[in-house]
Amino acid sequence: MSETLLEIKNLHAKAGDKEIIKGLYLKINKGEVHVIMGPNGAGKSTLSNVILANPEYTQTEGDIILDGENINGLKTDERARKGIFMSFQSPKEIPGVSVTNFLKYAKIATTGKPVKIFEFKKELEKNMEELKMKPEYANRNLNVGFSGGEKKKNEILQMLTLNPKLAILDETDSGLDVDAIKTVSKGIKMYSNENNGVLIITHGTKILQGLHVDYVHVLVDGKIIKTSTGDLASEIEAKGYEEYKK
Amino acid sequence: MENIVLNETPVRTSKNYGINNIEIKDFVEPAIKEFSNVKITDNENCVSSEKENINLKFGLGEYFLNQSNNQANVNLKINVDKKLKEPIIIEFNLDKSNNVLVDNINIDAKEDTKANIIVIYKSQDENDGYHNGICNAQIGANANIHVTIVNLLNTKINNFYSVNSNIEDESKTLFSMVEFGGKYNVVNYYAKLAGYKSVNKLHSIYLGKEEQKIDLNYITELYGEKTNVDIEVNGALKDKARKNFKGTIDFKTGSKKAKGKENEYCTLLSDTSYSKALPMLLCIEDDVEGEHSTATGKVDEKALFYIMTRGISEKEAKKMIVKARFNSVIQGIKEEAVQNLILEEVDRRLD
Amino acid sequence: MAEKKTQIEDISRNIYDIKNKDEYSYKSKKGITKEIVEEISKQKNDAPWMREFRLKALETYNKLALPTWGPNLDELNMDEIATYVRPKTDMKSSWEDVPEDIKNTFDALGIPEAEKESLAGVGAQYDSEVVYHSIKEDLVKQGVIYTDMETAVRDYEDIVKEHFMKCVPVSDHKFVALHGAVWSGGSFVYVPKGVQVDIPLQSYFRLNSPESGQFEHTLIIVDEGASLHFIEGCSAPKYNKVNLHVGCVELFVKKNAHLRYSTIENWSKNMMNLNTKRALVEEGGKIEWVTGSFGSKVSMLYPMAVLNGANSKMEYTGISFAGHGQNLDTGLKVVHNAPNTSSVINSKSISKDGGIATFRSLERVMPVAKNSKLSVSCESLMLDNKSKSDTIPVSDIRTEEVEFSHEAKIGKISDEEIFYLMSRGISEEEAKAMIVRGFAYPISKELPLEYAVEMNNLINLELEGSIG
Repeated sequence: MSETLLEIKNLHAKAGDKEIIKGLYLKINKGEVHVIMGPNGAGKSTLSNVILANPEYTQTEGDIILDGENINGLKTDERARKGIFMSFQSPKEIPGVSVTNFLKYAKIATTGKPVKIFEFKKELEKNMEELKMKPEYANRNLNVGFSGGEKKKNEILQMLTLNPKLAILDETDSGLDVDAIKTVSKGIKMYSNENNGVLIITHGTKILQGLHVDYVHVLVDGKIIKTSTGDLASEIEAKGYEEYKK
Repeated sequence: MENIVLNETPVRTSKNYGINNIEIKDFVEPAIKEFSNVKITDNENCVSSEKENINLKFGLGEYFLNQSNNQANVNLKINVDKKLKEPIIIEFNLDKSNNVLVDNINIDAKEDTKANIIVIYKSQDENDGYHNGICNAQIGANANIHVTIVNLLNTKINNFYSVNSNIEDESKTLFSMVEFGGKYNVVNYYAKLAGYKSVNKLHSIYLGKEEQKIDLNYITELYGEKTNVDIEVNGALKDKARKNFKGTIDFKTGSKKAKGKENEYCTLLSDTSYSKALPMLLCIEDDVEGEHSTATGKVDEKALFYIMTRGISEKEAKKMIVKARFNSVIQGIKEEAVQNLILEEVDRRLD
Repeated sequence: MAEKKTQIEDISRNIYDIKNKDEYSYKSKKGITKEIVEEISKQKNDAPWMREFRLKALETYNKLALPTWGPNLDELNMDEIATYVRPKTDMKSSWEDVPEDIKNTFDALGIPEAEKESLAGVGAQYDSEVVYHSIKEDLVKQGVIYTDMETAVRDYEDIVKEHFMKCVPVSDHKFVALHGAVWSGGSFVYVPKGVQVDIPLQSYFRLNSPESGQFEHTLIIVDEGASLHFIEGCSAPKYNKVNLHVGCVELFVKKNAHLRYSTIENWSKNMMNLNTKRALVEEGGKIEWVTGSFGSKVSMLYPMAVLNGANSKMEYTGISFAGHGQNLDTGLKVVHNAPNTSSVINSKSISKDGGIATFRSLERVMPVAKNSKLSVSCESLMLDNKSKSDTIPVSDIRTEEVEFSHEAKIGKISDEEIFYLMSRGISEEEAKAMIVRGFAYPISKELPLEYAVEMNNLINLELEGSIG
C-alpha cells in the first residue's frame, strides 16, 4: 500500500556556477525512513537546500514531486506550506523573535488555520519536556545565544510542532554529544509515522540507533550510487567511502 | 596669511564638535628654497624627477595643493611597469638648512605590477620647519602595491600631507602610514576603489607627545562591486597631545557585495592628552557589509601589572604595550632597517 | 491575511490624517517679528519677565545662523510659518468638555482609553495650546504637579523662573532661540523628593493647522530620590505644505532621582521636526531615553544628557525608520562632567524606499570625569538600494581614566535568515517584517505595551504588504 511521498527525478543543481548535483534520483514512500550518507562535498547539503529552494542554489534540470505534485518553481515558503521541513545544520539566529511566537506564526502559516493558544502552548511544553529543553527557552529569542545542541533540539521541536509530511534532517547529529543525539533520535521517533517520511542526512550512525531505517543511499559526486537496507550504514561507518570513490 | 582652516571631512557635523576641520592660528607661509637632502634607493630604475600636476578629490585644501603643484622643491615620478623585486626607498632628511620641503610624488603602477615603495620623512635636528607633500598613486588592474609613508619628523616642524589613490580591477593596495612627527601633523588620505574586487588596506599608527596636534582624515570611497576596505588605526597620546581621527568609508552606488571595516584604537598615556574620533560609515547601497569600531582608554592595567611582575618598570611596560599594539603595522613594512628605525623612534618618543 | 498594501501613504495613516477644519480664534501674521512676539506675549498674558525673555530670545534668533550641517532645510521658509495658532478652546480637565472634533481626534488616537488603563496622568496639546490635562488623585496628594506650562508659569512662577531655559540656553542654536521667543503650551511636571510615580505620565501633541508651528515647552523636575516615567507622543495630519515643530524639553534629574523619557514620534511626513531635548543629571541620578522616530519629513533630534553629578548615568535606546521622502537625522549627545559616570547607547535605524537615516552623536568626556564608562552601539538596516544610511559619531575624550568603545554595523537583512524563516512556511515579506520587528524589539520592549503595539503597527505599515 506504499504511497509515494517524494520523488526526485534526474535532478541537476548548481551552487553559483558549479554543478553539484548531477542527475539524482530518489523516491521516498509514506511511512519510510531514508538515510543519505556520503563524503564531504558529495552534495548532501545541496540536495536538502535544493528541495527547499534555497535561492543560493539553482535547479537546472529534473523534477521534484511531492505527493504527486510537481513543486519545481515553488518558492521556499510555498514548499514548506506543502509540508516539507528541513532541520538546518546551522540554524540562523533571529533576534527579537521568541521561540513561541515564531512557532505560533509558522504553525498558522503552514496550516493556514488559527491556532488555539492554550492547546498550542500545552503541546509545546510537552514536546520541550520530551526533548529535555528547559521551559524558559520558549521565551528566548530564536536561536540567539543557544549552544549547538540547543539549536539542534530547537530544530526538532519545530519539526514536532509543525508536523510536516516530509522531514529532512541535514546533519542534525553533527557536533552533538551522545545524550543530545539520543534526544534527537527520540524526537524523530516521536514524529515518524505511516503517513509521513523522514530523510536523514548524516555522517555517523549514532543518530540511527533505535530507529527503523528502510533505506540507506550513498551519495558521491552528485549522484546516488548505491541504495541498500539499513545495514549499509554501519558498514560505511566501519569502512568509509573509499570503495565508492573512483 | 593668518588663520587657516584645512582638512575638511566629506560630511559635516555640528561645528561645536570641533572636528569638521582643523584651524591653525597664525599660519606663516614658508619661504620655499632648494631642498637637497634626498636619498633614493632605486635599484630597478623606476624613479625620475618628472613633474606632473596632481588633482585631488579631497586633500587638505587648495593652498596646499597649489603649493605642491606649482612650487615643489622636490618632484618625483615613480613608474612601475613590472613586478619589482626590490623596494624603492625615498628618504627625506630635514635639518636647519633644509627646513622647508614641498614634495610632489606621483606613482604610476601599470597592470599586473608589484612594488614596495617606502617614503621616509625624518628630522636631523630639533629645528622648526615646514613640510607639505602629496603622494598620488594610480594603481592599474591586478597590481599589488604597498606604499609606506613614514613621518618621523620632530615635533617643531609643521607637517601637511595628502595621499590620493585610484585603484583599478582586482588590484591590492596596502598603505602603511606612520604618523609620529609634526607640531601640527595634518594628513588627508583618499582612496577610490574604482575597480571590481579592488582592495585597499590602510594601516596606520600615530604617536603624539608634548603639544603635538594630529588631524588624520582618512577617506575611502567604494565604487566597484565586491570591493574591500580595511582601515586599521592604532595610536597613543601623551603629554598634552591632541588628536582628531576622522575615518570615512563611503559605499557608493554600484558597490554591491562590498565590505568595509574600520577600527581605531587610541591609548591615552596622560591625563592631559585629548582624543577625538569620528568614524563615519556612509552608505547608499544595501547589499554591503560595513562596520566600524573605536575604543579609547588608558593602558590595560592587567597587562601592565603582568609585565611589571616580571621586574619591568612601569614606563618600559607601557612602551612594551604600545609597541605591541603597533606591531602588526610595523611588521607589515617588510624592510627590517625601516622597522628598526620606527621602533627606535617609539622608544625615544615615549621616554 | 490582509490584502497587500501598495500605496502606504494612502491607507496607513488614516488615523493620523484626520484633518479638522482649520478654525482658530487668533492666528498670528506669517513670519516672525518683534510685533508678532509682543502680540503672542499679550495673548498669553505673560508676566513682564517672560515678555522680556521672549524679546531677548528673538534678538538671539536674529543673530544666529542656520546650521551648516545635517539635512537640507531649504524648504523651511520662516516667513511663511504662522508661528502661533491658538485653538478655539481653553484647557479642560474633563474629556466631555473638550470640543467634539478635537476630542474625536484624540479618541481615534486612543488617548483617553490609554489614560483609563495605564497612565497616571494625561496631557493633550492641540496646535499651540494644551486642551486637556489630568492627573490621578493620589499623586496630587503626594505633591506631584502635572499641568500645562502656562498654568505652571502662573501658579509656580518661582520654580519655573529658576529652571526655564536654564538647561537649554536660548543661545544654543537658532531654533532654540526661536522657541524661546514664541513657545506655547507644553507640560510641567514636578515630582517631590522621594516620590515614586509607578505608572507613566503622558503628554500627547497634535498639530492640526496647516503651515504652522508647534513650539511646546516641557519642563520636568524630578527631585531627590524620586522617579518618573514620562511619555510623549506626537502626530499630525498630512498637509502639502511644511509644518514646523520646534519643541524644547528640559529635564532636571536631581540627586539619586530616576527619569525615563519615552517618545513615539509619528509626525506627518510634511513636518520639519527640529526639537531640542536635554537633561541635567545630578549625583547618582539616571536619565533613560527611549525614542522611536517614524514620522516627519526632516528630523534633527539629538537628546542630550549632561552628567553633572558623580555616579550619574545615561541610557539611550532609540530607533528611527526612514521611508520615502524622509530624512531622519537623529542620535544623541552626552557629556560626562563628573567622576564614575556611565552611558550606554543603543541605536538602530532602518531605511527604505529612498529614505535617509543618519545617526549622529557626540560623546564627550571632560577631564574631571575619571573612571567614566561609555559604550555605543549602532546598527543600520538597509531595506533596498535606493535608501541611504549614514553613521556620524564623534567621540571627544579628555581624560585617560576612561573606558570608551563604539561599534557600528551597516547592511541588509541576510539572505540566509530569510531562507530559514521561509523554510518554515513564512512568506518572504512576512519573514522580512518579522526580522525588522525583531531588529526593533530591543526598543519596543522598553515601551509600555500599547506603544510597543503601535510601534509594531507602524513598522508593519511601513513595510510593503501588511501582516494580519
